[in-house]
Amino acid sequence: MKTELLLCGLLLAVAGCKPAASTPPADPPPTKLILIPTTYIVRGIIQQIPPDLRHVTIKHEKIPGYMAAMTMDFSVRDTNALAGFAPGDEISCTLVVTADDDWIENLKRTGKIGGIAGSPGWHAVEAELSIGDTLPDYEFTSETGRTVKFSDFRGRAVAFTFFFTSCPLPEYCPRMNKNFSEAQKNLLADTNAPTNWQMLSISFDSAFDQPQILASYAGIYRGANVDRWLFAVASTNTLASLAPKVDLNFWRENGSISHNLRTVVLDGSGKISKQFDGNDWTPEQLADAIRAAAKIR
Amino acid sequence: MPPASGNKKKSSGRGDEKLFLTIVLALAAIAGLGSWFAAGALKRHDDARVIAPDESRRLENFSLIDSAGRRVTREDVRGKILAVSFLFTSCSLTCPEVSKRMAEIQSLTATDDDVRLLSLTVDPRTDTPPVLAKWGARFGADTNRWRLLTGDKAQLLWLVGTSFLATETNNPFNSMPGNFAGTERIAVVDKRGNVHAFFDGLRVGTPAAVAAEIEKLRGE
Repeated sequence: MKTELLLCGLLLAVAGCKPAASTPPADPPPTKLILIPTTYIVRGIIQQIPPDLRHVTIKHEKIPGYMAAMTMDFSVRDTNALAGFAPGDEISCTLVVTADDDWIENLKRTGKIGGIAGSPGWHAVEAELSIGDTLPDYEFTSETGRTVKFSDFRGRAVAFTFFFTSCPLPEYCPRMNKNFSEAQKNLLADTNAPTNWQMLSISFDSAFDQPQILASYAGIYRGANVDRWLFAVASTNTLASLAPKVDLNFWRENGSISHNLRTVVLDGSGKISKQFDGNDWTPEQLADAIRAAAKIR
Repeated sequence: MPPASGNKKKSSGRGDEKLFLTIVLALAAIAGLGSWFAAGALKRHDDARVIAPDESRRLENFSLIDSAGRRVTREDVRGKILAVSFLFTSCSLTCPEVSKRMAEIQSLTATDDDVRLLSLTVDPRTDTPPVLAKWGARFGADTNRWRLLTGDKAQLLWLVGTSFLATETNNPFNSMPGNFAGTERIAVVDKRGNVHAFFDGLRVGTPAAVAAEIEKLRGE
């Protein structure tokens, strides 16, 4: 491949497709011209990555001034450059051509992730929403037994988190609701705070967390003030659709439910305004996020 | 781990206090029973047998970040025998158990320079390097030998799915990305990068079994 490429380069250089700038060569053109490393942008799709990681087969578009569209091998100098790439990935890279060598560098993914797209978990990567994205509407069964949905609270900031009442460990679900409780107190005590906000604690456990159980559990954290904080339970179908959007993971395991922690704040228009991952955040941070999100109706 | 918080006892101020109290107590009992049951069910005492890989799998190349913020690639563990586990730090039940097994494997192989341990998070958004560092410290990880890895989510899931774990189908209540099955397993990778075997990361006999398997691999 290397000789082909070099020859290709030489021919094109002679033909003046990519003349090497200002100083015209004094000697016979080919050898001199090629002494200056020339770079080209290559766009294409990875076809194959041999185990040695020193080459990659790319089906590439026309490389302007250098090569027609074709499938060919390119060398890689840094074997780590191919880490995380797989056949099917749409990429761009820089092709460097010198007198006696050529290689690609600055490999970047530009679109479809082929190898990973076909792999387990890709839907979870693709579905994940970012700050500013609109979260689709979802329905839950509330502690009163009535249906409640995100769109019921348009015009209000909505903070929601996930839990289940029989969650055994204090630093997980109880921590989430405890933080909500503190944030609620923080906002209610602040006379300058907005009043257009709503909290929602959503249970994973539709088999056990019936409305009465939710209502009793809610009382532990919420006290008597039921206006701004509802407890609800999601069906498995709802969770299956909602979870990947907010990067929530859960599954039944050893008679309990294993899950990660996701807390999301929507603005008044239903767009994601802030997300808290894990349990290392404070009620004050949540209250501030609600204040900010409430400004957008 | 903070103690079970005292605010549980706070009354709602509603009229129906007796019923309320009963439910609170019932919930507390369920939670208590749940954790007792979970802890009991999690430790499996029977033989730690070797589980063969479902298909021929090998460690793919990767480029991830460890708990100290260092870039780690396959090149960094080339030629080493690896014990590999999977975790996410918000996981309340299995992951701490599996990490305890990994800690035991770490001490059983403490003098073996040809052995390294890797733990891959499946929740990189939460599990940033500082969060993994805290997790590692909790289990006494020697971060030069036991690398806790995070990074690009697509790459992590691709690596876990391609090199290690099968997908569980027909379980609507599995929203682990990729519906991976067997995340409680510990994989043993040989010096040539082939996934040699898996062990149940919940069994108390697993660290000894992994150490024995490593010894066997070294003899080959």
